[in-house]
Amino acid sequence: MFDIYFVQQIVNGLSVGLVYALMAIGFTLIFGVLNVVNFAHGEVYMLGAFAGLMLITWIAPPVLVIVLLVLAVGALTGIGLERLAFRPFRRFRDEASLKSRAMREATLLSSLAVSITVREVMTLVFGAQMQTVPQAYMLQQPIAIGRLSITVGDLVVFGASAVMLAALQFMLFRTRIGLSIRAVSNSPLGARYVGIDTDRAIVATFAIGSMLGAAAGILVGLYSGVITPQMGFTPGIKAFVAMVMGGLSSIPGAVICALILGVSESVATEYLASGWQDLVSYGFLIVTLVFFPQGLFGVGRERA
Amino acid sequence: MNAPKPAVPPVVLKAALAIFVFILVPAVLSWIGGGYLFQVATTALIFIILAASLNLVTGTAGLLSLGHAGFYGIGAYTAALLSTRFGLPCVVTLPLAGVAAGAIGVLVALPTMRLISIYFAVATLGVGEMIYVILLNWTGFTHGPMGIRGIPPIDLLGWRPGIPLFDYLVVAAVTAFSVWALSRLMHSYYGNALRAVREDDQCADAMGLNVVRLKIETFGISCFFAGVAGGLYCHTAGFISPDQFRFSESINILAMVVVGGLGSLPGAVIGALLLIILPEALRGFGDFRMVAIGSIMFLSILLRPRGLLGEVSALDLMRRQFGEAWKGGAATRVGWR
Repeated sequence: MFDIYFVQQIVNGLSVGLVYALMAIGFTLIFGVLNVVNFAHGEVYMLGAFAGLMLITWIAPPVLVIVLLVLAVGALTGIGLERLAFRPFRRFRDEASLKSRAMREATLLSSLAVSITVREVMTLVFGAQMQTVPQAYMLQQPIAIGRLSITVGDLVVFGASAVMLAALQFMLFRTRIGLSIRAVSNSPLGARYVGIDTDRAIVATFAIGSMLGAAAGILVGLYSGVITPQMGFTPGIKAFVAMVMGGLSSIPGAVICALILGVSESVATEYLASGWQDLVSYGFLIVTLVFFPQGLFGVGRERA
Repeated sequence: MNAPKPAVPPVVLKAALAIFVFILVPAVLSWIGGGYLFQVATTALIFIILAASLNLVTGTAGLLSLGHAGFYGIGAYTAALLSTRFGLPCVVTLPLAGVAAGAIGVLVALPTMRLISIYFAVATLGVGEMIYVILLNWTGFTHGPMGIRGIPPIDLLGWRPGIPLFDYLVVAAVTAFSVWALSRLMHSYYGNALRAVREDDQCADAMGLNVVRLKIETFGISCFFAGVAGGLYCHTAGFISPDQFRFSESINILAMVVVGGLGSLPGAVIGALLLIILPEALRGFGDFRMVAIGSIMFLSILLRPRGLLGEVSALDLMRRQFGEAWKGGAATRVGWR
């Protein structure tokens, strides 16, 4: 059983898992500061992929430039999303409105509404069919390591994810804006009382989370060559599952669970008929929730 | 408590509604002469059941369910398989569709009901997607992505005229019954208990309500009606495929409830009518159905956060105009069961 094919599946699974992880971090950051789920995150991923595709077809820059520009697009998308779907419903004035379920459900549903609208507008503009990535940009050249064959795309995904995770850690723990994000996620009112501009921290969180999401989108687009307006849905749900399994506001937990999901799905293709591997993640989700209601790495949260 | 005097006697209002749904609408539709219009009206009625049943769980009991379409799908597939494989009549398939969906709903609810807030929403989302994956991939049983074709239209004790008017009338009757049953449930002591659970489940628990049992029952009842709606859908459409019961459909139903007002039964009905009929009316301008649904949902959350007909005014309306007052021996029999 432990043959080369199995190792191959694990490598593929790690790539998929890292993509889920990049998205899950966005979910986790936003959940951390606002205590709400951003359902439009999958659309950020999709917009990132489309932005990359537009860049390729218009000016055809090198891959690194594409990724950097897509990061910028992601940040702008995040800021716009926050302005549109979250700010109108946020009233950080007192304890009661902060914890009110009405606020949380309003933003959950408004982000859902924005995500539907964005996805359908993109479908109207680009059509529901698959957009093709030019062959020169596809990251599929195989590299043989012994009997193991990985593609350039795997390496790019590993490298880009490592760089972005390191940058995220640096940003969160070594900069002032990271400090304010952590403060807001710890206690929004406390942060406000000590003079932190909570709105600015929240906008920064959205920008950073959406940058990671958009980067994941373009990486997958170049890796698999499949870009459609619907592409954000499934990874969005998987990343969401990873976030919940990881305990909602724990970034390391989300990353580890995303990797577990990616690898187990990839390995499952060996034992299950194709199409059934999606069941693995949802099964994981239900089992985790039933046996670890706070997630695998979550700390006991106050009941809301 | 004294119920305020209604402007019109409840009986008159109910009769007027019945005349509108069972005589006026079919008459006008027949007069315009559109099989297609009947189809839209039937779909709207089916979605009224779905929105009203989701409203019971998400609005009244406060459990955000993101997998309602999955149970709708279970109902549709149950009815479709029973009628295509065994040739059972609708009188049998519709209740069985509801029972199957309700039973699976209870099975799902047993482990997940102890989860709170967002965890429950995620769990239902996962369950909904699992149902979709199973419907899609269990090819031997559900025909997979091809769907099930040639489902016989609605019959009544073997009588099957197969005209749109007949389908419409049967669907309207089932919808009327479902909405009536859900309304009795929501506007009873049982509904009060659910609202108490929604506002503060620990407090409700401390007051002696069996919170977990209430939630499981409610979820099962809601899934039962979703299943019935699925049965109606498969018989009126004649063709079903897994794509029709995916997450986006759950979101449509949720949008109806939110637009109408969480916890408000008339609101759910209005929301369903609005979100089915408005996109159809806009169809001439291109396929803006989902864009319209998204934008309507966003605007209504932004401009009317409590919905078109919020819960408080809806409860007041139902009590005053439809005589759903909490009376009848309340003084002697305190309790809700």
